[in-house]
Amino acid sequence: MADMKKAEPPKDPSQYKGIMVYLDSFDGSLTRAAHEMIGVGRKMADKVKEPCIGVVIGDRVASMVDDAGKYGCDEVYGFESPDLSMYRSRPFTDILSGMVFEKKPNILIVPGTKNGRDLAARTAVRVQSGLTADCMEIDVEPETDILIARRPDYGDSTMSEIRCEKHRPQMATSRPGTFEVPPYDDKRTFKKEIRKVDLKKEQLREEILSFKPKGGEDITVSKVLVSGGLGMGNAEGLKLIEQLAELMGGSYGVTRPVADLGWAPRDHQVGQTGKIVRPDLYIAAGISGKPQHIVGMMDSKTVIAVNKDPEAEITKYSDYVINGDLYEILPVFIEELKKRKQGKGRK
Amino acid sequence: MALHLVVLIKVVPDGKEVFVDPVTFTLNRSMATNIINPADENALEAALQIKDKMDAKITVMTMAPPFAEPFLMECMSRGADEAVLISDRAVAGSDTYPTSLTVAAAIRKMGDVDIVFAGEKTSDSSTGHVGPGVAEFIGAELASYSRKVTYEDGYVIAERELENGVEEVRIPTPAVVTILTDSNDPRRATLRKKIDAMKKGIITWSLADINIPADWVGLRSSPTVVKKMLPFPRKDRKAEKIEKDKIPELIDNLVKAGVIKLEAE
Repeated sequence: MADMKKAEPPKDPSQYKGIMVYLDSFDGSLTRAAHEMIGVGRKMADKVKEPCIGVVIGDRVASMVDDAGKYGCDEVYGFESPDLSMYRSRPFTDILSGMVFEKKPNILIVPGTKNGRDLAARTAVRVQSGLTADCMEIDVEPETDILIARRPDYGDSTMSEIRCEKHRPQMATSRPGTFEVPPYDDKRTFKKEIRKVDLKKEQLREEILSFKPKGGEDITVSKVLVSGGLGMGNAEGLKLIEQLAELMGGSYGVTRPVADLGWAPRDHQVGQTGKIVRPDLYIAAGISGKPQHIVGMMDSKTVIAVNKDPEAEITKYSDYVINGDLYEILPVFIEELKKRKQGKGRK
Repeated sequence: MALHLVVLIKVVPDGKEVFVDPVTFTLNRSMATNIINPADENALEAALQIKDKMDAKITVMTMAPPFAEPFLMECMSRGADEAVLISDRAVAGSDTYPTSLTVAAAIRKMGDVDIVFAGEKTSDSSTGHVGPGVAEFIGAELASYSRKVTYEDGYVIAERELENGVEEVRIPTPAVVTILTDSNDPRRATLRKKIDAMKKGIITWSLADINIPADWVGLRSSPTVVKKMLPFPRKDRKAEKIEKDKIPELIDNLVKAGVIKLEAE
């Protein structure tokens, strides 16, 4: 529980050193978002020549602690208790805040998964510091040790640069998928420490009754994504999008307005309020390219835009632009792919 | 004794009718139509659904200038019993830390609050920090990103929707729950309740009423500052024009480059 008072900055912020990375996990493994954050932390640590400190919380953490070190942390602290097999807001906040008070990191970054956001928001209040959510860019200024956190702003047509100059640690979260996973190095050496935690009853008031894994596809892991926007004109258009996606062994995505209209489930929404994807191939059909959508797909390796408007914003983010109605263009793709697949089958 | 539910709402600009003041970097909302933040409407509905089943009092609360009053009236017209407006010039420019602190102080003043409902995030700044921040300040249990909430004998049971599944948690009151956008169908206002709301009016509290010193809030007591606004990052690509009859060629090239795989891996 936090004190009911204003956020007091430390007298000497320069005493705060190091980049702390909270590593969120599920079912005994670090999440992809956690790996992304190790990469972000590692880069900043190299820039300011300070350690990158990983924090892992779970019921059995040994393999995750090793993973964190091999992906780039210099020091990894694991907290272990049978009561911590799944995320629980209060004890996780207690542990992470405890590490902040103990290690006094200059920066603390947290994966922007739902549990990560829950934890970061509570921890920021507990440690009396500033937190910037959904950062697309996270960097540190070596001269000042100040965290540069940039996030899309209202309406997403601009980016705000947000700083937390006086309070420590300077905190940020990023949506999963925003950054690349750093390389794994089996030979990396790092310092590790696993601590057994004994939790008190009042820390464990939250009881987890059940967990039902979600079925369905995870579009963030698809190598190929075919996405449809309002240019589809109606919910039927999705069938064409899905058909092409299936032919290419990928999955389909939609824009926010399409999901808002109920033409497709939210799980398939790409963009700032949906998923952030970085497939090998992204086909944007009937998508104008609002920043809200661009944020979610701009790091795709190859982008093809299919649009009636040759000047649509999406074209600036595309490698190939096919001008025309998606109802005329996509069937050509479908037919051509079918031909090639049949050709393969005959050989 | 009746259960006391508090619903936190925020009035946000609708759609994109907003521009950013290039000097102060703050949002100029004067041009926009305002609405109740969509997720907060779901939060109110979640509270109303509990009230449908048992004796409960709902207080809807916001921290805003007086322009928020009609939106509080709207919430009462849907079934909230009272409305509190925390309004004070000193809070202008507050980030999520002083905002959570102020809201928590008002909840503490009420004294008997069982469950606090908030939207998972706002559509304007979309941080989702205030719900968890309030939980931290009032020392309550927290169930964030919930889509269904029930109450039974001093406990809240909430279905939290996470990236990879749905988790059902049980937490004792006092509790804070944050509610997912689109998780229910907000009911409409009724004329009878609207008339009642007009009779009741809105309770307005200043910072002094909730014992928060003016220098604890506002821009100067916010840990984060918006330093500058930057153009949206552009990753200009070559945007090579492909005619419809050249699509087969494009596909061949993408297959050759390994971008399209004709056989399943």
